Amino acid sequence: MRASLEWLREFVPVGASAGEVAHRLTMLGLEVEAVEQIDGDNIFEINVTPNRPDCLSMIGVARELSAAFGAEITFPDHEFKSETGELDFNVDILNSALCPRYAGRIVKGLKIGPSPDWLKIRLEKCGIRSINNVVDVTNYVLLELGHPLHAFDLGCIKGHRISVGTPKDVKGSAEKLRFLTLDGNERELPEDALLIWDAERPIAIAGVMGGLETEVSGTTVDIFIESAYFDPVSVRRTSRATGLKTEASFRFERGADIKMLKKALDRTAFLMHKIAGGTIYGKIDVYPAKYTAGKISVNYEKINRVLGLDLADSEITGYLGRLGFVVEKVNGRYDLTPPPFRVDMQRDADIIEEIARVYGYERIPAVLPAAVTGIEGQDNSRASLSEALLKEMKGSFLKSGFTEVINYSFMGENDLDLLGIDAGDVRRMMVRIKNPLRAEDACMRTTLIPALIKNIVYNVSHGNKSFRLFEISRAFLAGGNRDDKLPEERNHFAAALYREKIQSLYRDDTPDFFVVKGVIEALFNSLKIAPYSFIRSAEPFLHPGQSADILIAGSKVGYIGALSPVVVGRLDIKAQRPSIILTELDIDLLSGHYAQSAQMIRYSPLPRYPFSERDTALIVDESLESSEIVDLLKSYSSDLIEGVTLFDVYKGKNIPEGKKSIAFSIRYRASDRTLKDEEVEDLHNQIVGFMIGRTKGLLRT
Amino acid sequence: MIEDLKQTFLNELGSATSAADLFQLRVNYLGKKGTVTAALKTLSSASPEDRPLLGKKINEVKQFIEAELDSREASLKSETLKKQLLADSIDITLPGKYTAFGREHPINKVLLEIVDIFVRMGFSVEQGPEVEQDYYNFEALNFPKEHPARDMQDTFFVSDDIVLRTHTSPVQVREMEKRKPPVRFIAPGKVYRCDADITHTPMFNQVEGLMVDKNITFSNLKGILEAFLHRMFGPGTPIRFRPSFFPFTEPSAEVDIGCILCGGSGCRVCKESGWLEILGAGMVNPAVFEFVGYDTEVYSGFAFGMGIERIAMLKYSIDDIRLFYENDIRFLGQF
Ligand SMILES: [Zn+2]
Repeated sequence: MRASLEWLREFVPVGASAGEVAHRLTMLGLEVEAVEQIDGDNIFEINVTPNRPDCLSMIGVARELSAAFGAEITFPDHEFKSETGELDFNVDILNSALCPRYAGRIVKGLKIGPSPDWLKIRLEKCGIRSINNVVDVTNYVLLELGHPLHAFDLGCIKGHRISVGTPKDVKGSAEKLRFLTLDGNERELPEDALLIWDAERPIAIAGVMGGLETEVSGTTVDIFIESAYFDPVSVRRTSRATGLKTEASFRFERGADIKMLKKALDRTAFLMHKIAGGTIYGKIDVYPAKYTAGKISVNYEKINRVLGLDLADSEITGYLGRLGFVVEKVNGRYDLTPPPFRVDMQRDADIIEEIARVYGYERIPAVLPAAVTGIEGQDNSRASLSEALLKEMKGSFLKSGFTEVINYSFMGENDLDLLGIDAGDVRRMMVRIKNPLRAEDACMRTTLIPALIKNIVYNVSHGNKSFRLFEISRAFLAGGNRDDKLPEERNHFAAALYREKIQSLYRDDTPDFFVVKGVIEALFNSLKIAPYSFIRSAEPFLHPGQSADILIAGSKVGYIGALSPVVVGRLDIKAQRPSIILTELDIDLLSGHYAQSAQMIRYSPLPRYPFSERDTALIVDESLESSEIVDLLKSYSSDLIEGVTLFDVYKGKNIPEGKKSIAFSIRYRASDRTLKDEEVEDLHNQIVGFMIGRTKGLLRT
Repeated sequence: MIEDLKQTFLNELGSATSAADLFQLRVNYLGKKGTVTAALKTLSSASPEDRPLLGKKINEVKQFIEAELDSREASLKSETLKKQLLADSIDITLPGKYTAFGREHPINKVLLEIVDIFVRMGFSVEQGPEVEQDYYNFEALNFPKEHPARDMQDTFFVSDDIVLRTHTSPVQVREMEKRKPPVRFIAPGKVYRCDADITHTPMFNQVEGLMVDKNITFSNLKGILEAFLHRMFGPGTPIRFRPSFFPFTEPSAEVDIGCILCGGSGCRVCKESGWLEILGAGMVNPAVFEFVGYDTEVYSGFAFGMGIERIAMLKYSIDDIRLFYENDIRFLGQF
């Protein structure tokens, strides 16, 4: 809100400089975001928090200044003589729950015209455009006293009467009406909208906006000024439903001052008479639901206990008095009556804040709490395990050259279409956002891959030819049947490697698939996550011959593979056959396995006798995968086998078509003696024979 | 005569250049048929009185020749080795072979720094769902339906009752529901608001903090946050608490630090005020305690929350928040 210092000084005699006033307001909770100088006046841009509708006016800000500086408030003049003659005009409140008070005055014989300069200037300083003297006065009083007013052209009100109610109150049945508001738009109104009616039709949306048909115009002579109190929730609903946010609705939905409305009405009539002439008639004030201030009790001791202060009783009552509270003391307790404009005062905590505010937050000492001896019921062993897992995971990928990215949690159906993920896939079970910023961001991610692919395309388009990325974020799966109707949120890890064929100083022919797989295996081994395995994957967006599902103890925790050339073809990447390797893991599944393995670490004694190694190469069918060879070797029952290593896989010269050579090394060791050469030789020959039989292979010599 | 022999040897040694030459010399002088061996054989024909002196002389020459040959052989060997090693030398100024380390995202870097400070002050780390019930995100935090305070946070809706959490504060309610005081934790995480411009992204990160026990005061809130801010921004950083409004805290405060860019004299970043808003905080509103069933007369507590992006922007002088989510490796590589 914009407030003029010159105007404020009419209410409260504050001699302090503009800078000092701005500082004091800020430290009271009315943050002055900027100070603008206009013609020797200082305009404060004040950020008024939603709990303080009473500060949305000059008088409101002045009251705060009065409390801060201890200066008296002077009210603007609103005394005048009104005609007392009987008026042929009635006001009926049909719904006192939504409208507990409705007051008005009739002014006849006005001369509509432009406002005087002083009025125009004040409005403009505060950001309101001048329209005509009558409308300007209602806006002026709105700024001055904070109460929204509305002027109707009396000549357009039919049947000399006004009633206040919803369509149901007036017509007996709920109805969605159409209404022409004074901004010239016809709007559909919600059924429960509170409206102002004349004898025939609605003429205003209560607390939101007047109607075009009863608008004050250049030909208006007689007016009806409305000053009422409308229910905040009702105004807010109607304002939201119609999309109309006005100065009036903004204040009513936060809470108006039901007592101030009479003063505001008289002040408006007074100024109108002064500026536009005319005769003021007697007041109409229908007030079926009388306001009574609720009392709030506060324990004296609690005030100091919560604030960590030692304020004297006199100090506390002093601050509350300056804020307009009526204070009664009842053995160790204050019974307080807040002023009617403090709609935010609900309970003791609110009072404690008021005391702290006027005392000054800056004067409260900073003291660290006494040490806590224990945190009851807090079991963090599980949490710290997954923290350790995350740390290790992050660390190993960072050290392996992967840079961390963070993407928005959103995605769209088209992202899954691009990957060829079909309708039955669980990743189509997306949480949908009703009001997304863009259609392509209308869902929550079920996989981190689409965003990583976008990161790749973006970075490639900026001239990068080789990079590695990873992300740790949640994936959201809808459609579960949790009691709380919330989606399942799973922690995912995903990484991407992108490389174009570029010259490099040192040769390294390791296929990128194995670069990424290697980091994962190193991680699993370091975390002792076992047994893990890699089997061919059917992920639709991965190269069928270069992809694997990652299994731990037989169940899938993720996948790794080259992005399918079909998908690459759909991307805006010009490089010829770049290498793109993707992997995604479900961290929650991993951490379950990790939790088990981390608790099972047991020392095993170091071997005391030497080992012997034997190497052998077999020629087998090309289709036989190395993992099968290793599994076969491991299946051979002998407790003398300590370990098996593959050290060469070769196709080409000297090997028949459709065959390949696989070389492995076996390490033998006994735990109780040194093995004799013949013993090792014998065993190895048996194993080789077994392998040849099982693989239908040949010994490579 | 024996002196001539030594001189001849020295002349021949002087012209020897290879291991083969040296070997030949050794054979010629010291071999079975060598000159020195031959001289020794003449001893028997010498007169008995000359013999000892002559024998001594020949032996001296023999030892001399042996020593000279050994020494020349050794030096020749070391020269050869030296040449060989020199031939094997590499250009040690070529770069080493390595994969450059990846970089942690600046947001997570700052987030972990914040988490670390609070963990060292005894706060545990908790998590909550990002897709959240209206009840936890608003209702139980004292934002009733149709309350204007809800306007403070532009909300993404999944349904009437389910939203993308607009702040990390719902974790407060969830944790308090789970346990009795004392409670002391922080909750970092992603939050969402329906807003996008140069200073807003629809997703950003917050760290929430809560401490509840008997006798926790506003003064303690200032103590903890001052300790945190001094660790985060430097011991001398000015700190300012001023009244504000959050439905779930009362009294509420906005916490500012002296502008770290202009030192408080006023600049574009601090909008000439000399202060930067860093945190929202306050004493837990008893209304929230009532939602979770804590006795408001026995327990008090404080809560605070901060935006990570803002802190990271200040720390690294970043002027456009969107850079964090473009994931340009030229940007990410700088942290
Ligand atoms: Zn500054």
